[in-house]
Amino acid sequence: MTAPIEARVALVTGGSRGLGAGIVEDLLAQGYAVATCSRSRTDQVELWEKEHPDRFHFQTADVSVEADATRYVKDTVARWGRIDVLVNNAGVAGEGMIALTDDGMIDRVVDLNIKGTLYVTRAASRTMLARRSGAIVNISSVVGLSGYRGLSVYSATKAALDGMTRSLARELGSRGITVNSVAPGYLRTEMSHGLDADQLKQIERRTPLGRLGDAEDVARVVSFLVAPENRFMTGQVLVVDGGLTA
Amino acid sequence: MTVDRARAVIVEFLQRANKEFGELTDDLSLYGGGLELDSLEAAELSAVLEDEFGSDPFSTGDTLPETVGEVLAFYNAA
Repeated sequence: MTAPIEARVALVTGGSRGLGAGIVEDLLAQGYAVATCSRSRTDQVELWEKEHPDRFHFQTADVSVEADATRYVKDTVARWGRIDVLVNNAGVAGEGMIALTDDGMIDRVVDLNIKGTLYVTRAASRTMLARRSGAIVNISSVVGLSGYRGLSVYSATKAALDGMTRSLARELGSRGITVNSVAPGYLRTEMSHGLDADQLKQIERRTPLGRLGDAEDVARVVSFLVAPENRFMTGQVLVVDGGLTA
Repeated sequence: MTVDRARAVIVEFLQRANKEFGELTDDLSLYGGGLELDSLEAAELSAVLEDEFGSDPFSTGDTLPETVGEVLAFYNAA
């Protein structure tokens, strides 16, 4: 193992594009060392590697595969000595009427969104327990709270994450580890829950703040939750949706 | 020696956890009637040992250790 890095160390799953990339960008701007993973590299990843060679690391991993998830966490600990922050962002949407949903889609969404999150959290919580310190944020979704036609599988997985947040907050709180969820509304990212342009325009009209969200809107809330100064808030779901579900 | 270091890690962990303990004999139970670890403390000990040695008997052994001696035996065999 190399000497522990001075910067706070954050793991962000699925950080190569979309919302995850916004979270990585925000944490890098604040001086964090950030390790992210996804199934494939992007141009953004290569840019960060050039800009922050000492405190950015990308690893190809499919966290729905247990061995990949565990290796990603252990490699980060070996590289930087610890994990201060875990942001469980990796997820996949799946759209369709439940009556016509095939097994493959259910497996794909459940395996990544729930099982992948549990695999990474299990491994990361161990290193946080050893140090009695850490902050975990699960990126869930407003559709897990309010529901949306055609997103039953995705909604089920996101509601599951909020349940996991509450249980883990109770389980790990006595060891100085906070666990919260951020439930974004509908974003202008590559994966807006599998919704089409007309659906997104309708959502925009119904949103009090009059627009879809940006990755930066959500990243700011994640940064607040994982800040070392935030030590008395855990087990909560913060909704970031422009007031849509207010 | 790994076993001696493992014993020292257990002692450090018990001190951190504010556990009262005397001599760590091999047959001393980790749980009721012994060190009285609860499930979270057992998970924490597992994590601390893995952090120090890269593996631990709780997550990689064939059976979960019940006594101090069974924890130490894992490292003795390694």
